[in-house]
Amino acid sequence: MRKKSRYRPLKIGDFGIILFFLSALFFLPRIEGRKVRITVDKGKEYIYSLTEDRVLLVRGQIGVTKVVIKDGRVRVLEAPCPLKLCRQKGWIKKKGDQIICIPNGILIRIEGERFDAITE
Amino acid sequence: MQSLNRIAYISIFTAGAISLFVVESLIPQPIPGMRLGLANIFILLVLLTFGFREALLVGILKSVVGSLIIARLLTPSFLFSISGTIMSIIVMALAVKYLKSVSLVGISILGAETHTFTQILIAAFLFFGKASFVYLLVPFVLLSLITGSITGMFTYWLYERTEGKIEFAKAP
Repeated sequence: MRKKSRYRPLKIGDFGIILFFLSALFFLPRIEGRKVRITVDKGKEYIYSLTEDRVLLVRGQIGVTKVVIKDGRVRVLEAPCPLKLCRQKGWIKKKGDQIICIPNGILIRIEGERFDAITE
Repeated sequence: MQSLNRIAYISIFTAGAISLFVVESLIPQPIPGMRLGLANIFILLVLLTFGFREALLVGILKSVVGSLIIARLLTPSFLFSISGTIMSIIVMALAVKYLKSVSLVGISILGAETHTFTQILIAAFLFFGKASFVYLLVPFVLLSLITGSITGMFTYWLYERTEGKIEFAKAP
C-alpha cells in the first residue's frame, strides 16, 4: 500500500486556483475589427474595410437591407424583415461581433487579426 | 559525507532541469514565447525534497547554463527566463509552506502563472509598451494554466517515486 501523499493531485485548493485563473476568460481582450464580411444566402460574400465610411444596400431573400459603415462601426439602418432584430442590435465593432438577419438571409460579421499587440 | 550527498543530488537535479530546458528549446513554439516549462518539474522536485535555497540554486543554474547551451545568454529571452524562474520559485515555496489544501498540480499552476506574469510584465514594460500588457497577459494566463497542470502531473508522478528515498541527503 502506497501511503497517501499530501501532494496527491486535485485537492480542493486546486479547484480554487484553477477557477481563479480561468476567470481570465472574462478578460479576453476584444480586438478592434479591421474588416466586415457580409454573407448573403450562404453563398455570396462581400468584404469591406471598416476604415472607409459608406452605406451599403444588400439585396437578400425578401428585400433590401441598408447597412452603414461609419467610424469603424457597422449597423443595420433599414431592414425589410418583420421583427427588425438586426436593427435593434445597434452598432458592432469588435472582432467576432455579428448581426444576423434570418428572414433576409444576411450575416454581417466583423473580422480582424488576433495578435496585433505582438506584431506592433 | 552528508554535504557530498547533497551536492551530488543537487547536481543530478540541475542536470535534469538543464537537459529538459535544452530539449524543450528544440521544440518549435506555436506562439512565440510559449513553452511547456518542463524544467519546472525538477525545480519543484528539488523544492520539495531539499528546500527553497537549493531550488533557487537549481533554478538560477538552469537559466544560466541552459541559456549558455542554447546560445541565448544575456539576450531578452534569458532575462525573461531567469526572472520568471526566480519569481516562480519564490511563489511555489510560499505555496508549499502555507497552502496546505493544494496539491502539486495547484502548486505547479501557481508557479507557471507566476513565470508567465513576470515575463509579460518585463516584456511589456521593457520592450513592447504598456498597452500590450493586457493583450499579452490574458491568453498566456490561460495557456500556462494548461502547461502548469501538465507539469504538475509529471512532478507528482516523479515525486511519488522519489519521496522518502533521498531523505538522507537532507540539509543538516
